[in-house]
Amino acid sequence: MLIEILQQTINGLAIGGVYVLIALGLTTVFGILGIAHFAHGSISMFGGYLTYFLATSQGLPVLAAIPVALAAGILLGVLVEVLAYRPVRNANHINAFIVALGLTMMVEGINLQLFGHEQVVIPTGLSRVFRFGGITVPELRLYVIVAAIVLVVAMMIFVERTKTGQAIRAVAENRDAAILMGVNVRTIPLIVFGMSTALGVAAGIMVGALFAIAPGIGEGLVVKGFAVLILGGLGSFPGAILGGTVLGITESIAAGFISSAYKDVIAFVVMILVLLIRPQGLLGRAP
Amino acid sequence: MNRILVLLPWLLALALLAVLPQVLSVKYYLHLSILALIWVIVAQGQNLIQGFTGYVSIVQAGFMGIGAYGSTLMGLNFQWPLWATMVMAPLITALFALATGYPSLRVKGHYFAIVTLAFNLIIVIVLVNYSELTKGEAGISNIPKPWGGNREAFYYLALALAVSLTGLAALIARSRVGEILLAIRQNEDLVAALGIAAWKYKLFAFVISAMYAGLGGALYAHFQGFINPEIFGVAQSLDAILAVILGGSGTIAGPAIGAFLVVFLPEILRFADSFRLILYGLILVLATIFMPIGIVGIAKAAFARLTRREAGHGG
Repeated sequence: MLIEILQQTINGLAIGGVYVLIALGLTTVFGILGIAHFAHGSISMFGGYLTYFLATSQGLPVLAAIPVALAAGILLGVLVEVLAYRPVRNANHINAFIVALGLTMMVEGINLQLFGHEQVVIPTGLSRVFRFGGITVPELRLYVIVAAIVLVVAMMIFVERTKTGQAIRAVAENRDAAILMGVNVRTIPLIVFGMSTALGVAAGIMVGALFAIAPGIGEGLVVKGFAVLILGGLGSFPGAILGGTVLGITESIAAGFISSAYKDVIAFVVMILVLLIRPQGLLGRAP
Repeated sequence: MNRILVLLPWLLALALLAVLPQVLSVKYYLHLSILALIWVIVAQGQNLIQGFTGYVSIVQAGFMGIGAYGSTLMGLNFQWPLWATMVMAPLITALFALATGYPSLRVKGHYFAIVTLAFNLIIVIVLVNYSELTKGEAGISNIPKPWGGNREAFYYLALALAVSLTGLAALIARSRVGEILLAIRQNEDLVAALGIAAWKYKLFAFVISAMYAGLGGALYAHFQGFINPEIFGVAQSLDAILAVILGGSGTIAGPAIGAFLVVFLPEILRFADSFRLILYGLILVLATIFMPIGIVGIAKAAFARLTRREAGHGG
């Protein structure tokens, strides 16, 4: 029983890492621009497909395909910001959300055109399995957890320690004051979108390597990402990290002990319960 | 004089819709028109919460699913007559909306949208997996149709319901409740500061909008004779949002026009086939950027400019 719980917790950490990466991207975009970037999940999926395509039909080694996919993702994120979100910046926020829904359809459609309907798994060739006592940890799952931790730490250092990061936080805190202090508020959104999309694409690649990617998974990913934000508290980095880990482990234990068909339902029910008890989320500040 | 001018387009549209089955020679268009009328009901419901109250709900198709499965399963399992189950469908949907609206209306804006979307996903997951009751992904076929499947009769049923529910939406919009809903959209904090319990009004709008969807879903089930979970997915909830935006958010004619567009537009775009999803998304993005007030909003502005110019000539 204990072994089984530990096993599911390790499994949950890997998927939790994916959720944390998605949620960090969403929370930065929301914090800086007030946009619920719904197309984030589809772009992550696109990044996963692109990696698969480069690694298989183009014959690139996976480790070379990943940076190319990240770069393409960053470019796509920046384009989306400039072409779609910037025109509705000053309109009602809900308009940006509807634009995001339209973008989601477009990315899904383009993805279908380029990569077809097939469900794919990114071939990593990592098939060793480590054993610790009674717990088995596939090599790949371990690397995913480590990569997620590295990315989260790198992002935290960027946002907390660099001058650009300081500017990003300044815009999130008070846009007008940031402008007066000489922060260029036109380039900040580009940096934010580039960074968020890179994290999202990384998450998409991880899903593609760990499980599989198929058309339509973007929607599930982004909804989970928002569930994490609601769980952890809007705009809170520690909240996103805690929320993502909690959601991943809950889901994994629910799948192992209750029902794998209903694991998503259980994850959403947890989110709704948190909402009822603490509308501001686990680590969010009271409104 | 002005009043007649306002009513005239409505009367014209109604007259056109009333004779439509007599002039349509292609039966497929009659089929699409019935679907469009069902979508008018669904979109009017969506407009109550999205357009008037300013809360974008993404569970409208999920609620359609509850109405559709509710009516169908009551008929199958309890042998209740079709009319009884169709009346029960919106009531059952209302119960679900009460249970889901209470927690989700505690958050605003995007987060309300996401929570309702999660509900839509839950509804589909349950419909797929609870297959002892719902027959899972394969769906339920041979659902009884009224009048032995006579399309023309069904058209007039759908028309009568769409017209009366559009009228009801107009009545709600003009009532005190409608004014409070609009005020919530403009400034919810101010409404609360005036001592009005905003949550009651929001919940009311949400439940009524769900009942519209539930009835729409039941009509859909008994018109098509076949339902499966996929029909009630998030993509269709997005169609409801699109109908409201394209037609004109927060207007009465808007959702009706938008509903016809979302049913006929994919047919028109059929030539684009696999590019349809991309085009559809592009239309949504461009419409939101360039015509956020929708077709009705643009028409009203044009009409106002026209009458002003004429008045200028007269003076």
